[in-house]
Amino acid sequence: MKLDEIRIPRFDAYERVMHWMAALSFVYAALTGLALWTPVLYWLASLSGGGFVIRGTHPWSGVLFSVVIGWMYRRWAKTMYLDADDRVWLTRLDKYATHQHGALPPSGRFNAGQKMLFWSQVATGLLLLVSGVVLWFPEEMPRGLRLAAIAAHPLAAIGSIGGILVHIYMGTAAVPHSMRAILRGWVSPEWARFHHPKWYKVWRDSANLR
Amino acid sequence: MIVAKLIDTTLCIGCKACEVACQEWNDQEYTLGTFNGSYQTMPDLAHNFWNLIRFNEVERNGAQSWVMSKYQCMHCAEAGCIAACPAPGAITQMANGTVDFVHENCIGCGYCITGCPFDVPRLSPATKKVYKCSLCSDRTAVGLEPACIKTCPTNCLTFGERDELLRSAEIRTRELKADGHAQAGIYNPAGVGGTNVIYVLNDATQPEQYGLPKDPEIPWTVRLWKGPLKALGAMVFMGSILGAFFHYVIFGPQDPEKHGHPEEEPTHEA
Ligand code: HEM
Ligand code: SF4
Repeated sequence: MKLDEIRIPRFDAYERVMHWMAALSFVYAALTGLALWTPVLYWLASLSGGGFVIRGTHPWSGVLFSVVIGWMYRRWAKTMYLDADDRVWLTRLDKYATHQHGALPPSGRFNAGQKMLFWSQVATGLLLLVSGVVLWFPEEMPRGLRLAAIAAHPLAAIGSIGGILVHIYMGTAAVPHSMRAILRGWVSPEWARFHHPKWYKVWRDSANLR
Repeated sequence: MIVAKLIDTTLCIGCKACEVACQEWNDQEYTLGTFNGSYQTMPDLAHNFWNLIRFNEVERNGAQSWVMSKYQCMHCAEAGCIAACPAPGAITQMANGTVDFVHENCIGCGYCITGCPFDVPRLSPATKKVYKCSLCSDRTAVGLEPACIKTCPTNCLTFGERDELLRSAEIRTRELKADGHAQAGIYNPAGVGGTNVIYVLNDATQPEQYGLPKDPEIPWTVRLWKGPLKALGAMVFMGSILGAFFHYVIFGPQDPEKHGHPEEEPTHEA
């Protein structure tokens, strides 16, 4: 077989649907949440029916996102634990950012940066869910909790949106062909060997290429 | 001109005429209350009940005492509800100091409930919007006094120019002190910039006995959320976007064709 005809499966349909449900619910929750945060961004509400409508829909999109994050956790948590190479990788983040790949320890299916994104989304997702439920029912929740939630919810959102902005840049522009992986499910051997050498080796050995 | 209500609690006889007047003028539907062994009409304010005379039973100088006080929106100069509200135009502060909810702009998020240090706004389960005392802005706009003031039979409630009312509150306080109420004083809390509902209390050292918080202020988490967190958010979001853009401009994409991985030999031959 010709090298450029080989497709390595990276995300199956189940994982792709899961990812894009997370992405769509997140973008909706983020845009409506920003509208509810400050009058400066209130115009965002008109993208989805105005303030009264998003007051109703924003919490539900957050619930959906949380459910999908829970699903993602069940599916991916095991592969997301940092190994020894990952810990070294994180200390050399600057080398990764400046494309000095020779200085980096090899990555598995996900590199340490992707793993950190996953864990940060799990953590902020949990915080957003808990504080969000408190803000959802102002008359049922004790005031002390609401006062804590009113600061915790935007704080978690800032962390989470900031992380996703970087993630979107990585996925769309910084790492060519990764969009094909998350949309159609496969990558080339060259891509796999370059970005995820340890994962590539597992595939190569099981595919009996040598 | 800033207008205000003065509530001289020492003159309240607990007749609740002001409650009825408020319900009538604002055309509120009738809700059945509960009997809790108290002379109080309702246990609490409600979306359709904006003015409650509290009947608090407290102990003073070893004796049981009945403290009546009017519970309603305080029309704060620095209003916590406005600080917390995300919907432009949903809460206005009029030139005369009245804090009024504009229901067509209200989105029902209920953040004002959290922002208010006096626990005043209430959500309506039917309209999913928030309601409270409007200081009868529809009456004051045409030169009438609020309905509760109009109806009060004892002059416990007066309405007028704020500075003038403060002066008469001081005179009344001096009278009370001369009468032996050494703790008498004015409730006009500075933490919210003063309120346009001002009380004369015959024991101002314990406003809690009247159901009034001692040092109300806009909660610091609300200030954090509307102030520093906004700046932090703008920095993080703009930083991420500009950082990503300039990273692309300087370093470009990570292309396997351009950078090999020195530790790795190409292993897959055709
Ligand atoms: C909204 C636009 C988004 C785009 C364009 C996008 C793009 C991508 C791409 C291209 C990948 C594949 C990376 C690879 O093959 O290694 C990926 C993976 C992933 N995405 Fe997204 N994504 C988006 C939103 C989100 C959101 C909201 C979450 C929230 C949890 C998320 C979580 C993940 C995770 C955990 C992975 C696997 C590990 C990783 O690549 O970091 N993504 N995404
Ligand atoms: S008492 Fe509450 S509702 Fe009334 S102006 Fe003050 S913060 Fe707003």
